[in-house]
Amino acid sequence: MSGPTSKTTVGALRKTTDSSFVSAVLTWLAWSLFAASVAVLVARLRLGASWEVPGAVAVDGLTVLLWTVVTFFSGIVHSYSRRYMGGSAHETDFFLGIFSFTLAVMALVAADHLTLFWLCWLAMGLLMARLIGTVDGWPQARAAASVARRHFLASSALLGVALLTLWRATEATTISGIAASADGLGGPTLLVAGGALVLAAMIQSALVPFHGWLLSSMTAPTPASALMHAGFVNAGGILLTRFAPVVTAETGLMLALVVAGAASALGGKLLKTVRSDVKGELGCSTVGQMGFMIVQTGLGFFAAAVTHLVLHGFYKAYHFLSAGDKVERTAPTETESELGGTGVAGAAVVLLTGLAGGATFAVLTGKGTSLDSGLLLAGFVTLTTLHAARSAVRQTGLSTAARYGAVPLVALPAIAVYALAYEAVSGLLAGLPVVSAPTELTALHALVGVAFLAAYVAIETGVYERSERLYVALLNAGQPAPETVLTATEEYDER
Amino acid sequence: MNAESTTEDDADAIGDAIETAATAVGSVWPVHSFVTANPLAGFEDRPFDEAVSRAADLLGGRGYPRAATFRTALDEGRIDADLLDETLTDRGYEAGPEALLDRLESAEGTDEPSDAGAATRPDSDAERVDRVLTKWLSAFLDEGRAEWSMPNREAGFYDAFRSVAQHDDEIPDRGLAADLPASPTAAVESALEPYPDDRWQSIFEAQFAALPGWTGLLKRRADDGGAWQSAYPITLTGYLAARLALADAFGVDLAPPAESDGPVVDAEDEIAAAFLSAWEATYRDALVERVAAESEARHGERGARADGGASGRPDAQLVFCIDTRSEVIRRHVEATGDYETHGYAGFFGVPMEYQGYDDDVSIDACPPILDPQHRVAEIPTDDGARASRDRWARAREAAGEAIETLRSNPATAFSFVEGAGSGYGLALAARTLLPARVYDLLSTTDDAVPGDHEFCEPGVHRQDGAPGALPTGLTRDEKVEYAATAFELMGWEEFGRLVVFTGHAAETANNPHDSSLDCGACAGNPGGPSARVLAAICNDPEVKTGLRERGHDVPDDTVFLAAEHNTTTDEIELYDGDVPDSHAADLERLRADLDAAREAAAAERVGPAGEADSAGPGGAAGVREAERRAADWAETRPEWGLAGNAGFVVGPRPLTSHLDLDGRAFLHSYDWATDPDGTALEAILTGPMVVTQWINAQYYFSTVDNAAYGSGSKVTHNPVGNVGVYQGNGGDLMTGLPLQSLMADADTAYHQPLRLSTVLHAPVDRVTDILADNEAVAGLLDNDWLSLTVVDPTRDHRAFRYEEDLEWTPAPAAAEARPGTATTPAVADD
Repeated sequence: MSGPTSKTTVGALRKTTDSSFVSAVLTWLAWSLFAASVAVLVARLRLGASWEVPGAVAVDGLTVLLWTVVTFFSGIVHSYSRRYMGGSAHETDFFLGIFSFTLAVMALVAADHLTLFWLCWLAMGLLMARLIGTVDGWPQARAAASVARRHFLASSALLGVALLTLWRATEATTISGIAASADGLGGPTLLVAGGALVLAAMIQSALVPFHGWLLSSMTAPTPASALMHAGFVNAGGILLTRFAPVVTAETGLMLALVVAGAASALGGKLLKTVRSDVKGELGCSTVGQMGFMIVQTGLGFFAAAVTHLVLHGFYKAYHFLSAGDKVERTAPTETESELGGTGVAGAAVVLLTGLAGGATFAVLTGKGTSLDSGLLLAGFVTLTTLHAARSAVRQTGLSTAARYGAVPLVALPAIAVYALAYEAVSGLLAGLPVVSAPTELTALHALVGVAFLAAYVAIETGVYERSERLYVALLNAGQPAPETVLTATEEYDER
Repeated sequence: MNAESTTEDDADAIGDAIETAATAVGSVWPVHSFVTANPLAGFEDRPFDEAVSRAADLLGGRGYPRAATFRTALDEGRIDADLLDETLTDRGYEAGPEALLDRLESAEGTDEPSDAGAATRPDSDAERVDRVLTKWLSAFLDEGRAEWSMPNREAGFYDAFRSVAQHDDEIPDRGLAADLPASPTAAVESALEPYPDDRWQSIFEAQFAALPGWTGLLKRRADDGGAWQSAYPITLTGYLAARLALADAFGVDLAPPAESDGPVVDAEDEIAAAFLSAWEATYRDALVERVAAESEARHGERGARADGGASGRPDAQLVFCIDTRSEVIRRHVEATGDYETHGYAGFFGVPMEYQGYDDDVSIDACPPILDPQHRVAEIPTDDGARASRDRWARAREAAGEAIETLRSNPATAFSFVEGAGSGYGLALAARTLLPARVYDLLSTTDDAVPGDHEFCEPGVHRQDGAPGALPTGLTRDEKVEYAATAFELMGWEEFGRLVVFTGHAAETANNPHDSSLDCGACAGNPGGPSARVLAAICNDPEVKTGLRERGHDVPDDTVFLAAEHNTTTDEIELYDGDVPDSHAADLERLRADLDAAREAAAAERVGPAGEADSAGPGGAAGVREAERRAADWAETRPEWGLAGNAGFVVGPRPLTSHLDLDGRAFLHSYDWATDPDGTALEAILTGPMVVTQWINAQYYFSTVDNAAYGSGSKVTHNPVGNVGVYQGNGGDLMTGLPLQSLMADADTAYHQPLRLSTVLHAPVDRVTDILADNEAVAGLLDNDWLSLTVVDPTRDHRAFRYEEDLEWTPAPAAAEARPGTATTPAVADD
C-alpha cells in the first residue's frame, strides 16, 4: 500500500481566495433594501399607507412597486457579481456603481419635485455611462461610455425642456401639481412639453432611431448589462407613466407613441434577425420590447406597460446573465424535427386554442372586452397562443396528447399568471392620476395592426429574406458606433 | 490552394506567397471545440527569442512576462536567487537583478500606447477596412447563430462579398471595390500592380496579421474542410481579395513598414529571457533532482509496481490522460488502495471521428496533429432505455422550437415575454442564490433520463460499404494494433482483474470556453467516448488472442472498462454496464475508493474555499464547493484547467508517485526496459510531447499577453456565431484562453508562464538517435520552445540536459553543485 500522507512538493502553486469587503457590504445592503421595499409594499397593500414629504417626495403605488422590482434586480446583480466580478481590478468601483445606480433609481421613482426628478434622471444616466466604461483602461470601453453619456445628456436636456415648459405653464413645482393642472394645458406648450417628454423617453428606452447607444454598450460587464436591460431602459416607460396626464391630453402624442413604438418593435426584431453575436441579439431584442412597451402606453394602458417592463426585465436579465451558455456546435443543415401539416381537425384545435388564449386574457384583464385600443393587445395574445399551438400540433414526433394538449395546458395558465401580475400592478397603480386611458380606435391603429400581421406572415414565409438590400441595410443599422469596436485586440486592456 | 486557375505564372506566385504569408497567423479553432495550440506555431522554425520579437512586430503581442511578474517570482523564491545570478553572469550582465528589472520596467512604460492618445485617435482608413471586414466575416463565418444568414453564402466568401458590397454604403464607391473582378486572384493581382513582386509576401503577411482572430479561424476552416466549409467555402485568396479591394477603396497604402535593421532581439527582451530561463531552471532542477534520486533509489525494481510487485496483482489498474489534472486524482486514487495508475494520451491512441447517439455533427476525437482514420458511431442496444431517452429528447426539442418560433416572430415575441417572464424571474433567483441546489436539480434530471452510454455501445466493428470518406469501425488487426500500442507505450507487463481507461471532461455553466477545459488530446472534446472505444476493443476475445500473440499476456479474468473523470468535481463515473457479475465485488470496492479519492482531490483543488463552512479540510465540503462551481452561472473560475503546467515526465509512475506535483506536470507512463528499440519512446516524443508543448505554449502566451494572444476578461465577453468571442461590441475575435483561466485575481498570476520542461527516463543515446531521425522535434528543442532533460538509468541515473544539435550537458550532481536549491521554499520537504 502506498500512502505517505505528506509528499514532497515540487513547485507548489499559490492558493488564493480573496473577497472584497466593499462588495460584501453592498450586497448585504442591496438585499436589505429589497427586504425594506417588500415591507413597504406589504404595508401599502394591507394598510393602504402612503408617505410623502410634501413638495419633494411622494411614495405612491408606482414607487413601491418599482422599489420592490429594482431592489430585486439589484440584489440579484449584486449576488451574481460577488462571484462573477471576483478578482477583477474594477470590483470595488463596479459595486459602488451598481449600488449608487440602485439608489438613483429608487430616488427617481419617489421624487415629486421637478428638480429632484431631473437630477435623479441625470444621475442615473451618468452612472450607467460610467458602468459601460467600467474597464477604463480599454479605449473602446471609454468610447462606448462617451457615446452613451452623450445620449443621456441629450435626454436629460429634453427632459429639462419639458419640465421647464410645464413649470412655466402650470407654475407647479411637483409632478403631482402638474398632473392636477394638466387639463388646462394645450396648444404649443403641450406640444413642446409632450414632444420633449416623448423624445426623452425614446432615447432612454433606446427606441429606433436612438438605439445606437444600447447596441454600443457591450463593453459593460455582463451584470451591468443585465441591470441596464432590466432597469435602466425602463425609465422611458416610467417617465411616460408619471407624466401620463400630460401625454394623454393630446391624442396626437398618443398616436405618435403608438407609431414610434410599433416602428421600434418591428425594427428591433428585424435588426435582431441578422445579428450573430449573443449580446447584440439581446440588445436588438430589447429595442423591440421597449417599442412594444411604448405602444402599450400609446394605447393608454400604462399599467400594462409597467407590467411589461417588469416581466421583460426578468426575461432579459436572465438572458444576459446566461449569455455564455449560448455557444453550441451546430451542423449547416440542421435535421429539423419532422413538421407535418395541421389538417382540418388540427386547424380547428389551433384556432380554438388561440381564441381561448385571447378570451382568457380579455376576461381576466378586461383588455379587449370593449371596442377600443385594448382589442389590439388581446389580438397579440390570440396570435401568440395560436402560433404556439400551431408549432406544437405540427410536431409529428410527439404523442397526440402532447401535440394538442401541451399548449393549452401551458399557455392558459401562463396567461392567467400574466393577468394576475397585471391586475396586481393595476391595483397598486390605482391611485395614480392616469392608469388606464384606452384610446378610440383610429385608422392608424388598424394600420399598426396590419403591419404586425404582415410582419407575422413575412417571418413565417421567409419572404423578406429575398431582399439582399434589406439584409445589408439591417446589418449596417445594427452596427455599434465605430470607435467602440475592437479591431486590434492588442488595444484591449482589462485594467 | 483554391486560387482559381489562370494561365499566368503570377497566379502561382501569388498562391505560394499567400500560403507562406498565412503561417504568420496561428490557427484558431471554433470556441465550441477549443484547441489549446501555440498561437505562434507559424514561427516555430525560428529560435524562440527571434520568433517572439517578429510576432511582436506583426501581431503586437508581448513575448515575455512583465518585470512585475519576475519580481513576484523572485520574492517568492520561485526563481532561485543563486541560479539567477549564475544565469545573468553567464550572459554577461554586470548589473544586479534589481537594476535589470528596473530597466525592464522603464522600457515597458515607453512601449505602452499612451492611453489618452488611443481613445481620441482619429478613425484611420485602415481601421475602417478592418471594421467592414469584421462585419462581413462575422456574417459569413456564422455557424447557425443568426436567424437570417448572409445571402449567397453557398457561392463562397468572395462571391458573396462581391454581391453584398454593391449594397453596402459603408464601402466607398471607388477603386477596386466598386468594380470587383469575377476572380479573386484577378482582384489580388490588380491590387498588387503598384508593388514589386518581392514585396508581395510581406504585404500579405501584414494584411493577414491585421485581424489575426478571424484570419486564424478562416485559415483553420479552409484547411480543415469540415461541414461548414463544404457548405459555405472560404479561401485565403478570397478573403485577401476582398481585403485588398477594401484597402483600395479606402485609399490605404499596402506597403508594409520595412523590417527594422536593428538587432533581431532587443536588449530588454534579452534580459527578460535570462530571468525566464532562471525561473524555468529553478522548477526543472527541483523536478529532475527528485526524479533522478528516485530512479537511483528504485534501481533494480522491475515493472511499474510502486511496491515492487510483492503483493502480486494490483486491485485495479487505472489509465488516465497525461493531462496535468490527472496527477492530482491519481495521487489520491493510489492512496486509497492497491491501485496502479498510468498516464496515456487521452484519446487512447485511436484516431477517430466520433458521432454520439442522435448527434447532428461528428467530432474529431484525436489531437489536431493527427487526422482521424476511422469513423465510430454510437449504436443503441437497449430499446427500452432508448425509447425513454427519445421521448424526453423529442419533448425538449419541441418545447425549444416552440419557444424559438415565438421569440423570433415580432408579432408573438412580446406576448411570449409577458407570459414567460415570471418563470424567468424564478430561474433568475434560483440560479443566482442557490447554485448548489441547481447542481442537484441538474443531476436528478440527468439521472432520470438514460445517458447515451447506458443504452449505446460504440460501433467499433468494421462495417464495409458504409457511406462517408472514412472507413466505419476497425478491422481486427487495427484493433489489436491500437490495444498493443497502448500497452507498449506504457510499458505494461501485468494485468489486474480490472483495467479502467479513464477519459476526462469538465462540467461548467455559462462558459463559452468550456471546451478549453475538456480533453486536449481529443481536440477539446470529452474523453469518455475514446475510453469506451479502447475498452470495447480490449474486451473483444479476438483482440485478447491477438494481444497474447504479441506477447501481452492478458489473463482471462481481466475485464476492461471505461470511465470519465469529471475534472471540475473530480467525480469518476464508471461505465460499468458490461462488467460481469464475477467482478462485482472488485467493482464495488473500486467505486467506494474512487469516492474517497474524489473527496480528497476535490478538497485539494478547491482549496480553502472548501473548508470554510465545514469541520475541516477534505470530506464533503470540498465536493460540495466543486459541485457548486460546476453548476454556478456566475462562476468564472469553475476549475483551473491546465493552469500551472510546467513539466512533462515520461517514465514509470514510481518515479513520481511519492511526489506532490500540484497538478503542474503532464505524466506519460513509459518503461525504457520494455522498449529496447525505442519505437515507443519515439511515438511519445513525436506525439504527446508535441501536443503538451502546444498546450504549454498556449498557456504561456495567453498569460504574458492576454489581449493579443488570450481572450481577455470573461466579464465583457460577447460570444459570436458559435465560433468565438468578442470583447465588447465586436471587431476581431479573441483567440486564446480567458484571463480568469490564468489569473487568480487582477494582480496575481495563477499560471506561471514557463516553457515546458520535459524529463525523460531513458538511455540518453537512444534519445539522441530518435531526435536525429525526427528533425521537427529536434528543431523545437534547438529553437528553445521547450527543454528536454534525460535521466539515464544506464549511467548512474545522471541527468543530461539537451543543449543543441544533439549535444547534451551532464547535469552536475545537484546537491553538490548548488546546495541552495534544495532548501528553497518551492521544494521544501514538509
